[in-house]
Amino acid sequence: MSETKTGGTLTSYLSFRLGEEMFAADVSKVLEILEMRSITKVPRSPSYMRGVINLRGSVLPVLDTRIKFGMPATEDTVDTCIVVLNVIMEGEPLTLGALVDSVEEVLELTETDIEAPPTIGSKFNPEYMHGMVKMDDNFIMVLNVDKVFSTDELVMVAETADKARPAVEEVKE
Amino acid sequence: MEQFKKKFLEEANDLINSLEDSLLILEEKPTEKKIIEEVFRVMHSLKGGSSMFGFAKMDAFTHELETIYDMIRSGTLSVTREILDITLAAVDHLKVLLENGEEISETQQNNQNILLSRIHKIINKDAQEEITADTATSNVAAHKESEDKSKVYEKVPTYFIAIKPEEDIFRNGTNPMLLIDELHTLGHCKAFVKTSRLPSFEQLDPEKAFFYWEVFLATDKSIDEIKDVFIFVEDVCNVTISRIADDNLLAKTVFIRELDNFIEPVKETGQSELEAFVAKLKYNEPSLQEEGLSFRADEAAPMKRLSINNIRVSSEKLDDLMNLVSELVTVQASLSLFADNQDNPELAAISESIEKISRQLRDNTFEICLIPIETIMIRFKRLVRDLSNELDKEIQFTTEGTETELDKSIIDGLSEPLMHIFRNAIDHGIEPAEDRLAKGKPRKGKIAFKSYYSGTNVYIQVKDDGRGIDVEKIRQKAIARGFISPEANLSYKELLNLVFLPGFSTAAKVSEVSGRGVGLDVVVKKINDIRGDVEIESQLGVGTTFTIKLPLTLSIIDGLLVKIDKTFFVLPLSSVDKCFEVQDDALVKSFNNKIVLDGKQVPFINLRKEFDIHDNKPILHQIIQVNHDDFKIGLSVDTVIGEYQAVLKPLGRMFKDLEIVSGATILGDGTIALVLDPARVINTFDRETLERREKLYRENHRKDIQLHAGY
Repeated sequence: MSETKTGGTLTSYLSFRLGEEMFAADVSKVLEILEMRSITKVPRSPSYMRGVINLRGSVLPVLDTRIKFGMPATEDTVDTCIVVLNVIMEGEPLTLGALVDSVEEVLELTETDIEAPPTIGSKFNPEYMHGMVKMDDNFIMVLNVDKVFSTDELVMVAETADKARPAVEEVKE
Repeated sequence: MEQFKKKFLEEANDLINSLEDSLLILEEKPTEKKIIEEVFRVMHSLKGGSSMFGFAKMDAFTHELETIYDMIRSGTLSVTREILDITLAAVDHLKVLLENGEEISETQQNNQNILLSRIHKIINKDAQEEITADTATSNVAAHKESEDKSKVYEKVPTYFIAIKPEEDIFRNGTNPMLLIDELHTLGHCKAFVKTSRLPSFEQLDPEKAFFYWEVFLATDKSIDEIKDVFIFVEDVCNVTISRIADDNLLAKTVFIRELDNFIEPVKETGQSELEAFVAKLKYNEPSLQEEGLSFRADEAAPMKRLSINNIRVSSEKLDDLMNLVSELVTVQASLSLFADNQDNPELAAISESIEKISRQLRDNTFEICLIPIETIMIRFKRLVRDLSNELDKEIQFTTEGTETELDKSIIDGLSEPLMHIFRNAIDHGIEPAEDRLAKGKPRKGKIAFKSYYSGTNVYIQVKDDGRGIDVEKIRQKAIARGFISPEANLSYKELLNLVFLPGFSTAAKVSEVSGRGVGLDVVVKKINDIRGDVEIESQLGVGTTFTIKLPLTLSIIDGLLVKIDKTFFVLPLSSVDKCFEVQDDALVKSFNNKIVLDGKQVPFINLRKEFDIHDNKPILHQIIQVNHDDFKIGLSVDTVIGEYQAVLKPLGRMFKDLEIVSGATILGDGTIALVLDPARVINTFDRETLERREKLYRENHRKDIQLHAGY
């Protein structure tokens, strides 16, 4: 972190892509980025759990972020990566991997760069958003990593507002 | 026997070291409840161990120390410098006892006697004070109160008060006793009655006062407030009050002891004499040396350096080691793969050596971390034998599944709580032979130990067929101790679980073997320390079962490695009966999910179907026949790879609801295999089992109904 001329504190965010959407996560939550490797599927686990991998001797659960976010599943490509995140789940730290279509870049943002997430008309539940950033006509959704990955539910539906509603209701339960 | 003694001595050493630590912390924070409990527990364990292995001197010694800390624990005593000094000296003495066993030199015996007498003094201090106070006043209503206050009054000044009533003080209705009673309410007070004015019996006038008093009072009240006590008797009573010390002399044992010699009942104490007496004592703070104790730092730790045969390593370090080894194996697997493709004989040789070494390293690491539960069983067998003799009970002790392997640190943490459980079972559980016969039970009581794997856990059960626990008694006791309110509506299980609370003991008497209510809360604390749980089941008159559930994080199971499509699974070998090869269409065309194996119809579960795996369907399936309860059931997989020693790793919280998989293991090439829990798999997928259970339940239910109808 460093100071800018305007006095805001710079925080680094890792941006990544899921389909056409861009997301960003606080770099302090990111432990490392792994290349795609074979993932052991765990039977009878939720659909968004892609499986487990061996991360230097310990078992790391890997989430299929597309499915978690309510997007259609696609084939893995050479760009597909596993972002290893350290999240707080029920007050305790938990390490997990999140599959993303591709990792883009590290953004240096001040708090003022991040706009509040829109509450109406958004296809994403604002509860899981830290905010959004506008970059070259594109919006990047800044995620609240702890919230998004520590819930058991499918958190957001990207395609249509109709599909979004039930997911949000589920979360509220 | 020597072997057990040695083990005990090693443990005692550890206990004593931790005791010293705790005592030093206690010196800083004398009111810290947790530390007091800790010290008490160590004392209790030392006492238990030494009595068990026949160290009579140590047993006697620790018993007294335990009593002190029991009093502190219950609030009857408070921690003072003196107690800590004695305890530390006692700890040094314990080291001597540990070193020399029962044969100690005369000086050391002398030390022990001095220490014991000092300990007794502390224990009996209250009682002594009561006696002195009683001689001074006949009705010491305020005594109890002043005693309570004494804890607070360590730092308050001490006053000397001489009360000399006029002979005719009774004429105006004054009772000088009440004055002394009132002084007792002000602080810590010690009164001496003086009889020098008492005439011979012939000349005694019952209407006149002849006694006078000298009172030592330690209080935070001002001299004026003390004077106020005598405000109504000023003209009939000659009172002198002087401040003799800035601190509470009455809290000092030396002062109390010397005082009795110093004050003479027939002679008035002169002011100057008193000052000299106090001054002399001030410079003679009680010290252990003065009492003839010869402990010096170099002597205090006379432990001959025990040659180090075993070292303790924190399980964290072992976990790290284990992870590093797995990582090494992974890297090594990629190296061999690379070497194989290089067609370079030198590289191939190096890679082979590394493979060999890393395998040995892995095996060694496993061995370091795991030991069978058998290793601690022998001492429990011995405990049961000795204690049952001592308590004159006849007990048959059986063990099952002692080959179950557990992490070294878990086994270590297990022995102390298990000891408490066994003691409980022997002391409180099993009834004497006559009682058993009277109840129609076999003469010999039974204690059964059993350990087994289930999923990611190891279960350890200690079951006795003794008198069981009377939950009604527990309820009453809990109410009496204020643990629950009388209106509390607790379930049977909740009531049973009350026995795990600190300070809860159902035994009416404190017994040598168990009791004082430390046993069971120690059990819970220790088991929690190794990340386990304790459960208690009991039926009055039938027996009690303790079940300890332990995690298997580092445990190894012998497994059968199988594969479905690309995923590896491990089935615990203990439940595998046989493997069969069948054609795909035999599975598909099977009727009612049954297949003929070895000429018998066996139900089977198609894991491919249940696990939702549809790719690369093989022509030949393997059926693993497993034992479940008392029937056999088949599980279909694609290929059987072979036996595999699986180091179980938890799948983590993301999969905490997934019952059928009890963990994961990392294969030599770094791939993850999932360890299945066959019992859970069967319960989840076998509809027939479900139906059977349903039927069984219904039948039982019907029996119940019929029974009820019969009445």
